Amino acid sequence: MILEALAEFLTLSELGGVIVNGLAKSALYVMIASGLTLIFGLMGVLNFAHGSLTMVGAYLGGLLMVVTVTSGTAPLTRLGLFFVAIVVVFALLTVLGGAIETTIIRPLYDRPPIYQILLTFGLTLVIEELVRIVLGIYDLQPLSDWQAALATKPQFLREPVSLGPVSAGWMSLFQILLGTITVVGIWAFLTKTRYGLYIRAGSEDTEMASALGIDVRQVFTVVFALGIGLAGAAGTLLMWDPTWGASVPLAAETLLPAFIVVIVGGLGTFRGTVVAALVVGMADAVTTWWFQNAIQFTGLPELVLFLVLVVTLIVRPQGLFGVEEVGGH
Amino acid sequence: MLYPPVYHTLLNSPVSAETQMLLPTVETMVGVLYFGLFAISFDFISGYTGYLSFGHAVFYGTGAYTVILIANGKMPLLGPGTPFMLSLLVGGLIAIALAILVGLVSFRLSGVYFAMITLGFAQVFYVFVRGWDYVANNPRDGPAVGPSHAEGFQIGVPGIDQLSLSIGVLTGDEVALLGSTLSGTEVSYYMIGLVVLACYFAMQRVIHSPFGRVMIAIRENEERAVAIGYNTYLYKLGAFAISGFFAAVAGGLFAGFKRSASPENSFYFLVTGDALLASIIGGFGTLAGSLYGHLFDETVREFLSKAGQGGGLLPYLRALLGQETLDATLFGDTTIGGLIDLLLNGHASLYVGLVFVLFVLYVPDGLLGTLRARIGGTFAEALPAKLWGDSDQ
Repeated sequence: MILEALAEFLTLSELGGVIVNGLAKSALYVMIASGLTLIFGLMGVLNFAHGSLTMVGAYLGGLLMVVTVTSGTAPLTRLGLFFVAIVVVFALLTVLGGAIETTIIRPLYDRPPIYQILLTFGLTLVIEELVRIVLGIYDLQPLSDWQAALATKPQFLREPVSLGPVSAGWMSLFQILLGTITVVGIWAFLTKTRYGLYIRAGSEDTEMASALGIDVRQVFTVVFALGIGLAGAAGTLLMWDPTWGASVPLAAETLLPAFIVVIVGGLGTFRGTVVAALVVGMADAVTTWWFQNAIQFTGLPELVLFLVLVVTLIVRPQGLFGVEEVGGH
Repeated sequence: MLYPPVYHTLLNSPVSAETQMLLPTVETMVGVLYFGLFAISFDFISGYTGYLSFGHAVFYGTGAYTVILIANGKMPLLGPGTPFMLSLLVGGLIAIALAILVGLVSFRLSGVYFAMITLGFAQVFYVFVRGWDYVANNPRDGPAVGPSHAEGFQIGVPGIDQLSLSIGVLTGDEVALLGSTLSGTEVSYYMIGLVVLACYFAMQRVIHSPFGRVMIAIRENEERAVAIGYNTYLYKLGAFAISGFFAAVAGGLFAGFKRSASPENSFYFLVTGDALLASIIGGFGTLAGSLYGHLFDETVREFLSKAGQGGGLLPYLRALLGQETLDATLFGDTTIGGLIDLLLNGHASLYVGLVFVLFVLYVPDGLLGTLRARIGGTFAEALPAKLWGDSDQ
């Protein structure tokens, strides 16, 4: 039974499908986790509100799409509107992130790091209830996916496409594309711009950076704002994915994998996060295949994600690419 | 201690409407007791050694599931007739074993990493329990106590009926006392309160022992504690095991009272989040503060939640304002009643969250911590000193 399944698993079409799926999942994970890792790397703040803000992004993106798209809108126009929606959500949440940082995170920098975890945890409660209140006004079910937003997806993204012997969904390819854009964008921002230089300097040694005349406070605000903006952009993408969808529990569903990816990669290294997202995404895709085809245990993919976390922390406590000092308060 | 009679006296007094609005029901208070114990055990490890145990819910869930599985005859060696007190103990011992296993790995890390790896372990168990169909017919909804244990769970001396009383809303014993009858819920309140009190004193004892001093030393400066010659690894492991034991007892009491448990209200990481809320509002590292913190949390929740038996602000406002005021339009087609509904109906988490954020920002020591700082010591020490005119200073 297991051997038969293994033989089937290793055929080109199945394995290829799993790899494409894994890449798509990795792309989603990297989008969810990159904001978190930027914020942690520079500021040492483990942002528990990240998942909630991803959820807010999903609803905002869904709102923009539902308002602009009618049933007669052509598929390519819908795709264009989607990119506009991502940019708008990114901008809105960046502003929100800046506001959060300057008003309530800033007073906590000189306290033990645990207080930042606590504060952002409280923030999640507030954000989720506010979203529930707003959903209540519009009679939307907070616990199930927002179908109207899902319906704005152009038809061709639902259809499979064959790449040689491998059959994959257009949606997966679309997600891989967006994930790649995100990774390249952040990488270019960190290594090619002056501001990225400030951020890398601040991550390595905050005091030295400020001694050299960098306004570290401002850099903190910008990074927190951008991190939240990325969370929102990721949320907008998830809104179109049928396995995630815009719903209130999306907050917890994305927060936990994001933590896993960030910690497996090593807190505060962007490269580590990308590699970890690949590892976790592949593990997820492989176990999902096995769950669907051979092993009858519903929680298998979730279980394996957390086992990846536990095993990594046992073997390499600082994460794949982590440096000892970062996060070891 | 006097809560149930006082609550009933107030209910029958002229201020009954206000009482029903402001105070939680006795049933809620039972929940405050057992969950308060869980929050205390969470504070025991997190507040005193400084290691945030973010997966603490796993021990709570272990206790709860152990009690139910034993009652359903699904635990090897222990039949459904096992006394409840013994089930509690067994749950505690399993939690100790689990805590040592998790701790052996986790205490190699510190800070944020420790919080995350304990969270990771807890989620592994959560997912596992949710998918394991041995524990219940529908593991996602969790197990309930079956017909093999139809009678209530007894707290007291096992084997001696005269010294034991059953707990539960429907299955609890009724006791005639001084001309009035205590209902099953009220008996549960006292019996569970007794266990919680015993556990609290036990933990209090540990904190004030030399062992507890080392725990505080680890929180204040672990490197120095190592330099003095303490094997902090063993101390942390010991503290974690003790904390896990009491968390499991709390979970067992919860299962014994509710007679069912689900993965969502026992193993899930937000259960730990609730304990975290309680300890921060009550005061981190004050032990008893966690109970008051949870009391505060529950009171606010019930005060703002929708019309339960316990009343709350919403039904009170509805009754007070009258239908005409409620139907009055404020702006557009929004009525006052609609607005009150919108802002209050089941959205207690919003206000609890706001209070929590304000506490983290402005009252970092919590309720009890701040009070203790004000009066300069614990109540037991400072109150007599105030009364007798500081004679011992």
